[in-house]
Amino acid sequence: MIAYLCAIGIVALIYCLLALGLNLQFGLTRLVNFGVVAFFAVGAYTSGLLALQGVPLVLCFVAAGVLSGLLALPIGLLSLRLRDDYLAIVTLGFSEAVRISIQQESWLTKGVQGLPGLPKLFASWGSGVSDMAIFATLLAVVAVVAWGTVRLAASPFGRLLKAIGDDEPALSALGKDPAWFKVQVFMLGAALAGLAGAFYAHFITFITPEQFIPLITFYVWMGLVMGGSGTVRGAVFGSLLLMVFLEGSRFAKDWVPGVSEVGMASLRLAAVGLALILVTLYKPNGLFGGKTQ
Amino acid sequence: MTWIDFVNLLINGLIEGLVVALPALAMTLVMGVNRFPNAATGDMLTTGAYAAVAVQLLGGWPLWAAALGSMVVTALVSAGSYTLIFRKLAGRPMVSSMLAAIGLGFLLRSLIGFFAGHDQRTFDLPLVRAWNFGGIRILPTDLVIAAVAAACLVVVFVLIYRTSFGRQLRAVADSADLARASGIRANGLMLCLWLLVGALSALGGVLLGMKAVVSPEMGWESLIPAFAAMVLGGIGSPVGAVLGALLLCVAQELAVPLMGPSYKLVLSFVVLALVLLVRPAGIMGRVQLVR
Repeated sequence: MIAYLCAIGIVALIYCLLALGLNLQFGLTRLVNFGVVAFFAVGAYTSGLLALQGVPLVLCFVAAGVLSGLLALPIGLLSLRLRDDYLAIVTLGFSEAVRISIQQESWLTKGVQGLPGLPKLFASWGSGVSDMAIFATLLAVVAVVAWGTVRLAASPFGRLLKAIGDDEPALSALGKDPAWFKVQVFMLGAALAGLAGAFYAHFITFITPEQFIPLITFYVWMGLVMGGSGTVRGAVFGSLLLMVFLEGSRFAKDWVPGVSEVGMASLRLAAVGLALILVTLYKPNGLFGGKTQ
Repeated sequence: MTWIDFVNLLINGLIEGLVVALPALAMTLVMGVNRFPNAATGDMLTTGAYAAVAVQLLGGWPLWAAALGSMVVTALVSAGSYTLIFRKLAGRPMVSSMLAAIGLGFLLRSLIGFFAGHDQRTFDLPLVRAWNFGGIRILPTDLVIAAVAAACLVVVFVLIYRTSFGRQLRAVADSADLARASGIRANGLMLCLWLLVGALSALGGVLLGMKAVVSPEMGWESLIPAFAAMVLGGIGSPVGAVLGALLLCVAQELAVPLMGPSYKLVLSFVVLALVLLVRPAGIMGRVQLVR
């Protein structure tokens, strides 16, 4: 039971990290990133592939964050010229392009077979203990990122980002150039997603392209929107709520007799769809969000 | 690549383009009037294809009758989604409508997957041999697909450019406030638009299913190409959507010998990004008005 709770906790914290990254991009700056999973995938594969070459895990994690952040640079530059609806579809298309490339370039990524046998974080400490160590490390990382986001939002830089989200033309009229800030924040959010990907890869120890479908992006969105975008509290509690939702549906299987595993997966997807619709309709500010969003 | 291969790829690209033009047109109509990219368009396609499969299975009807039935069903689903969801989100930030559209897409796709299963299906069609003109191969089925798609496009264009429904629609697209001030009643008009968009998507789904196979993922996979076609042609321009779809699909087919079929979607994405970078208003688009 403790092992199970620990595993759920780790996945919840990974989603939390993703949601905090998206909160920087969308919550603060109103950059609509529908391609969260692309940066998550690149982080996971970067770290996984380097680790298989014998690179120390710490360096793998750094590389995952850096590479995902750099990958966000062209998209961030593109975002400067796009209205948010175009950016949404471009990032969605980008995430599918990344997934297909990972699937096709099997010389590098082993294609659909995926990468098995990735080294587990803290493996030398024994299996039960290593999960707890991963959990503790993630908790610390999420706490630092959450604290950093709060500090950032309160700083002049953060107020500038909020102003970009609220009224960009007014900001330009005041003589500030929002462009570089947008790109920076896009890269920062992507780097966090990449870091989350590395944690994922070295916790699950087996990654395939199938794990990086657009659904993951919308899990993160659902968490952030449910919790209330724009606030750290919203991102954190939203991800926890998401986890209750995802794990709860696993238990719901025992309550709904005669539904196969595949059927249950369909029903879970349906519930995600319905939740996205209902939240946007009736709780646009989320459960823990402020009123002004 | 000989010129005969080239012609075969060109023909295939044109037929695919005519099919993709239908969802691209459906998206561009909604984008022009309701001002959000309807990400559920792909799954409306899937809904249409499965509705036709269901009608064929239940009634043993010929495919054209099944297609008509599926157009009615999907039009109702589409109009229902407008009434229940998108009408209430008008005036909210665009992201709300997009998220709800993604949610609707998941909902439709998973309900289809739940009730119909994930196996691929095909329509009950007679098997025919391709005509061969000295190496240039043409499938009679493909000709039917192209003809139906083209006819459907003509009907929609007549509706948009030659009827009072179309005039009112274009008036609302240009300026919703001005249209309201001049006495256009938006509610009925919107319902008609969403019925039309649903029927258009359903036909696109049936044709796509005739060309390939019917699966729960089929519509989602054509979302990015349809969006790329719409952007390529210029958002809100119906003629542009059709031209964009033809251009994109021909380019995709001609690129297959170079990159293999798996990278088609990646090419769509690259085209999309390049067009937005170089000419954000698309080929036929005007400079977008600031909302």
